[in-house]
Amino acid sequence: MAKVVVLGAGISGHTAVSYLRKNLSKEHEVVIVSPNSNYQWVPSNIWIGIGRMKPEQCTFPLAPLYKKKNITYIQAKVTTFHPEGDHEIEKGFVTTQYVVGDKKGETVKIDYDYLINATGPKLNFEATEGLKPGTHNTTSVCTYGHAMHAWNDLKKSIDRMKNGEQVKIVIGTGHAKATCQGAAFEYIMNVEQELHRYNVRDKATITWISNEYEVGDFGMDGLTVNMGNQLMSSKDLIEMVFEDRGIRIIKRAGVYKVEEGKVYYENLDGDHKVEAFDFAMLIPAFSGHGFKAYDKTGNDITDKLFKGFMIVDADYTAKPYEEWTVQDWPETYQNPNYQNIFAPGIAFAPPHTISKPRTSKNGTPIFPAPPRTGMPSGITAKLVADNIVEMIKKGGDHLHHLGSMGNMGAACIASTGFGILKGKGVTITTNPIVPDYKKYPETGRINSKTIGDLGLAGHWVKLALHYAFLYKAKMKPFWWLIPE
Amino acid sequence: MAKKITRFQKFIMHNPFIQFFKFIYLNIKILNVVAMGHGGTRNGKK
Repeated sequence: MAKVVVLGAGISGHTAVSYLRKNLSKEHEVVIVSPNSNYQWVPSNIWIGIGRMKPEQCTFPLAPLYKKKNITYIQAKVTTFHPEGDHEIEKGFVTTQYVVGDKKGETVKIDYDYLINATGPKLNFEATEGLKPGTHNTTSVCTYGHAMHAWNDLKKSIDRMKNGEQVKIVIGTGHAKATCQGAAFEYIMNVEQELHRYNVRDKATITWISNEYEVGDFGMDGLTVNMGNQLMSSKDLIEMVFEDRGIRIIKRAGVYKVEEGKVYYENLDGDHKVEAFDFAMLIPAFSGHGFKAYDKTGNDITDKLFKGFMIVDADYTAKPYEEWTVQDWPETYQNPNYQNIFAPGIAFAPPHTISKPRTSKNGTPIFPAPPRTGMPSGITAKLVADNIVEMIKKGGDHLHHLGSMGNMGAACIASTGFGILKGKGVTITTNPIVPDYKKYPETGRINSKTIGDLGLAGHWVKLALHYAFLYKAKMKPFWWLIPE
Repeated sequence: MAKKITRFQKFIMHNPFIQFFKFIYLNIKILNVVAMGHGGTRNGKK
């Protein structure tokens, strides 16, 4: 009988635990540890942030589902990793701390035969002075709680505009090395459309601020999309969309401080500038959680498991951008030092960024971190689960299921306005995610599989995916037929 | 200077009848991307 422990119940962790339970017989124990009581479909948080959806439409409680599906659910946060056990416990274990109930604050050791670290990122608001929501008047849409706060603040700005005031809106990345430009892009476009809906668009100056060298980078070094009758760079596509909506652009910007109504940033020319705002939504940098790891005798072995995020089968050799290859990227998400530990989704340490590193004239790195999106999170979680199931059922340690981001396609559906008839979307598919210029010298990607489209249909696709993925996450009948 | 979205392009983008067929096309395209599967990039593995 094997015991598989999954840390984190986000897109990656929940996907992993769903497939583990589906494919392992009852004799094997499947455990999930998460401090959260709800599952959240993160891609729809932007719609909470404009008041078009409520949190209960994008979340559901985890405990009843896991109880029904014979998945042991422990509402706790992980604190330390002990892959070699200790003097009391032979197997690897993690120490966790209960976060609710009578046992709140108590620690418990959870041992495992296989461990999936799907803890995702830490939202590192602290990396930007003053950025944390509630410190000054910036907001975020990274969680449904933050998105509700963003909507409340946006409503106040809309009321001010209805009273005739001019309002400055600033949306984008809140750190020189932030990622999730896609989410910020969706949000700025949705806000712009909502202002039309409230008849106050003429009262707002809307500005996109980003660490991208060119708009449309999205942390993927940009891409060339097939628009049907022409190839178009993502730079040209997004510039066209921003121009159409009257959105100002500040690019190559590393935000480093926020004060009430002011965003401070440095650009690649080394200039320090200030942008005033009345309403701002800025995505923070992501970081690892700062977990520590110890060996059997209690020695610190954190470096064997973590470099910020969890170390996996990537090539971490430091090398210049010109020498990066897709082979640098992991395929199995297995830790090389402890082969029963895996880190899919956002929890793994990438070998480097995808976008070209750049530093300002002052030496400040200003470039996007790799994109961390739902589709690869789900794909990598499933392949990790499939590999573990095979190892349990068939023995051996050869991992047959592989999924490098250099050999994986993804669809990015960016809503640019909500509404069944007035909605809009930018639909991009890309294959592969990490460009492979050796295999595809022209654009780094397969042109026929890397498409772009603008229009109402994109909104319908994103809305359909919202319902489909919540259906899948709730493990309703035939949920497994819906691909990641 | 940014390219502009033409009035004709906007008509196509916003027309629900046309976009219905675009919705079907996009879903097929996305499924095609997913159906291609994924694999490794080392040792000639798929």
